[in-house]
Amino acid sequence: MKEPVLEIRHLTMQFGGVVAVNDLNMHIDEGEIVALIGPNGAGKTTAFNCVTSVYEPTNGAVIFRGMPIARNHPSGRMRKFYAGKEIDAFSGHVVHNTPDKITELGIARTFQNIRLFKGMTAFENVLTAMHLRRRSNVFTQMLHLNGQEEAAMRKETDRLLEIVGLTDVKDEMATSLPYGKQRLLEIARALATKPALLLLDEPAAGMNPQETEELSAFIRRIKEQFSLTVLVIEHHMNLVMDISDRIYVIDFGKLIAEGTPEEIQQNPAVIEAYLGGDVD
Amino acid sequence: MQKQGKKSISGATWVSLCLIVLVYVLVFIAEQVLPPTSMLFTVLKKGATYALIAVSMNLLNGFTGIFSLGQAGFMLIGAYVYAVFTIPLSQRMSVYQYYDGGIVQFTLPIFVAMILAGLVAAFFAFLIGLPVLRLKSDYLAIATLGFAEIVRAVFQWDKLGPLTNGSNMLRMFPNFNNFNLTDAEGHVTVYLSTLIPFLISGVCIALIVLLIHSGYGRALQAIRDDEIAAEAMGINLFHHKELSFCISSFFAGVGGAMLAMYQTTVQAKSFTSAMTYEILLIVVIGGIGSVTGSVISSFLFVACSEWWLRFLDEKQMIGTFEVPLLRNGFRLVVFSVVIMIVVLFFRRGIMGTKELPDLFRKRKGART
Repeated sequence: MKEPVLEIRHLTMQFGGVVAVNDLNMHIDEGEIVALIGPNGAGKTTAFNCVTSVYEPTNGAVIFRGMPIARNHPSGRMRKFYAGKEIDAFSGHVVHNTPDKITELGIARTFQNIRLFKGMTAFENVLTAMHLRRRSNVFTQMLHLNGQEEAAMRKETDRLLEIVGLTDVKDEMATSLPYGKQRLLEIARALATKPALLLLDEPAAGMNPQETEELSAFIRRIKEQFSLTVLVIEHHMNLVMDISDRIYVIDFGKLIAEGTPEEIQQNPAVIEAYLGGDVD
Repeated sequence: MQKQGKKSISGATWVSLCLIVLVYVLVFIAEQVLPPTSMLFTVLKKGATYALIAVSMNLLNGFTGIFSLGQAGFMLIGAYVYAVFTIPLSQRMSVYQYYDGGIVQFTLPIFVAMILAGLVAAFFAFLIGLPVLRLKSDYLAIATLGFAEIVRAVFQWDKLGPLTNGSNMLRMFPNFNNFNLTDAEGHVTVYLSTLIPFLISGVCIALIVLLIHSGYGRALQAIRDDEIAAEAMGINLFHHKELSFCISSFFAGVGGAMLAMYQTTVQAKSFTSAMTYEILLIVVIGGIGSVTGSVISSFLFVACSEWWLRFLDEKQMIGTFEVPLLRNGFRLVVFSVVIMIVVLFFRRGIMGTKELPDLFRKRKGART
């Protein structure tokens, strides 16, 4: 069996007495589109933030391509009122990264509440995200001696904007774009960091049904084109059922089900927790 | 091939460049024609100095979103480094009269000393940045302000006297007038004492502008716009903030050296936090995030405070009528009112976030 791209082991995130994510186990294989769903406040975004090192998990490990990118165990005061499981499984060395390091390793993300660079045009937004892959230093850049690299990056930016279909608005200010296009721009910006794993946090939020439909085709297309692995958090069931290879369902921080879209649709626990027992 | 990907230089940029060259030519001509004691040159020299410092502060406050109030501290370091290393050997005995001529017994060329001034300021910025840049907004402002005050106190410390001359002033170092070309008898043949500061300031500001328009500049603006998103795009917040802080301080140090030359003497106690506020005021009036705005407002600010409003401090007679209220100190009242009006009616500063070329561009609404 091939090694999964991302593996989450016994991930627990506890804020004070609140266990936001409780003993979450997941794995995402190469080339898969995996969805993480759950009712509001189930801990989806928290799990996301643990993967991208915005938060330091209380317990558990996140492993990206065989390398631990986050690993922690409850210590000090936290140990006393730790409410999760596997308290000693991850004792030993602690791994903690900063979000920029995670991106450098090849995990890019978008945000639930759009976070574009407000003072920049669409083009500059994408171009800025390529900064990470630059090899020229600050002095050569200050004197603009990196013409070739800059030219290549501008060309690449144009290509990315063409792929997401924003070429015609590339010189508009990012914040003046319609909501749906801002979402696409965020994805283009994430792609500019050359990721292997793309994390999408509610990419269809605020989109109309037609846009949502286009989005599923779009996600599949970029997955093929950039040979990505995708983890998506989403509320739109249509989108999730349409694009996912596998689905994980969490409720109150706990994993309650996993499986293919068909299995999840049949799963009574999911129906009860997520759809409130109301099936049509 | 190299040029292909770069945005081709637009007409508006050419117009702006021509305008800047024209300003330099005018300065040069004015200097040869007008008497060197004219108030105009005082304003231009101090304006050029303040412009550089204001732009360096704008790089931090306007482009990186770091609210730092340590500028006076870095200027002080720059001014002292410049002064200490350029006082002629023959004068050291009289300048360091209480400290046996000081411990520095060599001099550096003017431009080397200026660059050293910047480097030392940047080095201090690097050290102070390590702990301070982990703070956010107001806390960072307070910490940097505290740093500036500490520097001011330390430089006046008696034990450092052999280096800094304690609380006594440093003087006799080369100033702007040394840039004038003279003939064998000491008569000035070509006046350059305003043009050279303009050039120094211009080159430094040009470097900052180039930085802002490079990849690093965009990364800094990304941090200003959204720290969380910037970090998620792989921009290391701390490294980039530290970089911006050091570069800004480098130019503040060079600006400090220029201020020393302008003043012809240096004394630590004059680098108060009020000086930082003056610079901050210039940045705000010019427009946070506009280099052009900072430059223009520096000259306006200096001209108002040093020249145009001077008459308010003296008794004025219209015929036999003595204009009321005009007495010493009234200038500051009017000045404050002017500033309040500017802030009220130009809420985003004179230029907003526009730059010089934007003024010549046809308004398409593409950039606001």
